Amino acid sequence: MPRFVSYKKIMLLAVLVGITLLVMRFTHVGRPQLTPMEAAIKDVLAPVQGVLMNIGETFRNGVESIASLGRLSEENKVLKEQVSLLKGQLHMQEELRQENKRLTDLLQYRDQYKQNFSTRTAAVIGRDPGNWFGIVSLNKGSKDGILKNMPVVTPSGLVGKIVAVSPNTSQLMLITDPRSGVGALVQETRIPGVLEGTASGTGETRLIHVPRDTELMDGQIIITSGIGGTFPKGVPIGRVVHVSDEPTGLFKTATVAPFADLHKLEEVLVITTVYNPDIIPQTEGD
Amino acid sequence: MRSFVFLLLVTIALLLQSTLFSFLQVSGVKPDLVLMLVIFNGFLRGSREGAFLGFLAGLAQDIFTGNYIGLNALAKMTAGYLAGLAEARFYKESVIIVTLVTFMVGIASQLAYYVLLLYLDIEVAPAFALGQVIIPSAIYTSLLVPLTFWKFYNSNEKGWLREREP
Repeated sequence: MPRFVSYKKIMLLAVLVGITLLVMRFTHVGRPQLTPMEAAIKDVLAPVQGVLMNIGETFRNGVESIASLGRLSEENKVLKEQVSLLKGQLHMQEELRQENKRLTDLLQYRDQYKQNFSTRTAAVIGRDPGNWFGIVSLNKGSKDGILKNMPVVTPSGLVGKIVAVSPNTSQLMLITDPRSGVGALVQETRIPGVLEGTASGTGETRLIHVPRDTELMDGQIIITSGIGGTFPKGVPIGRVVHVSDEPTGLFKTATVAPFADLHKLEEVLVITTVYNPDIIPQTEGD
Repeated sequence: MRSFVFLLLVTIALLLQSTLFSFLQVSGVKPDLVLMLVIFNGFLRGSREGAFLGFLAGLAQDIFTGNYIGLNALAKMTAGYLAGLAEARFYKESVIIVTLVTFMVGIASQLAYYVLLLYLDIEVAPAFALGQVIIPSAIYTSLLVPLTFWKFYNSNEKGWLREREP
């Protein structure tokens, strides 16, 4: 054995190994606390470790991003499809919610007046392409018991009457059509008049031939008078928004804004049979 | 063939006006797409063809609505004729000129319509007619011209609406 390894060195190594083994024993994971030196080292190194970890993490993310660029566009496409699908479902749900509310209102109205008249619900499927006439196509016709001159209402108020019928569709003339005329009266004062349309686009009607000496003012409610026989008495029509004198000086004219939103009709009730012609008038547009 | 394609466009315009554009009304008024087509046609092809196809387009509209057959036919024929008068006088490739022509002819055509309504004993107060139908409708229709004229123009030059050799 060569002499370059002395016994002294072997002894030193044995002592070091022995101490190390001893230290290993005393620094096991279950010991009550760290030695002061360990604690000091850890505290000093902690911020440096933190910075280094951040740098490492950023680097790893960068590498992963580059590596996953190819996958991202695919993932993005899938996610976009999912978003679009979910948006569509959301819009459909909102549409169904609104339709449900409208149909519930129609049902309530029908139940409320079932003693007075029976109705059929019809959906709007088209409108007159021009701006002058207020003609609306409905999806119910003679096969569903719809006849010419039947009045049409919504829970808000009078809409118009049926003017033409085919087996599966019918044409509704709105009260704003210039050819429309409805026997009407002022609910408060019972003054009668004729309610005529102006032009479909205006969305307004006029109560004409009201004697000049009668009390007619803004805010008064106009209902059907039942005169003429087409419309049952007492159906709310609208509210007076402007009063003026007719050129002859003998009569007044009132501009009446209908309660029913005639520009946004989607479903309507066609009154098919009137049991009791005197309907208790509703309050404004309920 | 050209007339057939034109009437197909009129049918599509009628369907759009009676459905989709009912939801796009501004102050209760929707644009008159059929009138716009008739004016474009008259402006690019002259009075004779303008009046003829204007009449056919109006007739299609009357048949579509199902009453007063001839009312729109005459009003649109007037529009086609008047737009045709502008054909020889103005530069055709300016969208501003076409917009102004559409506005003016739109008003004239609707005034003709108004007179025909009086003839049919349908009375509309002149103030309502002018302020709430005729002028707003002419404005709305002419505002759509910049969006649509070039399509029609290109089709008229080299597309479905061009004059084919016999």
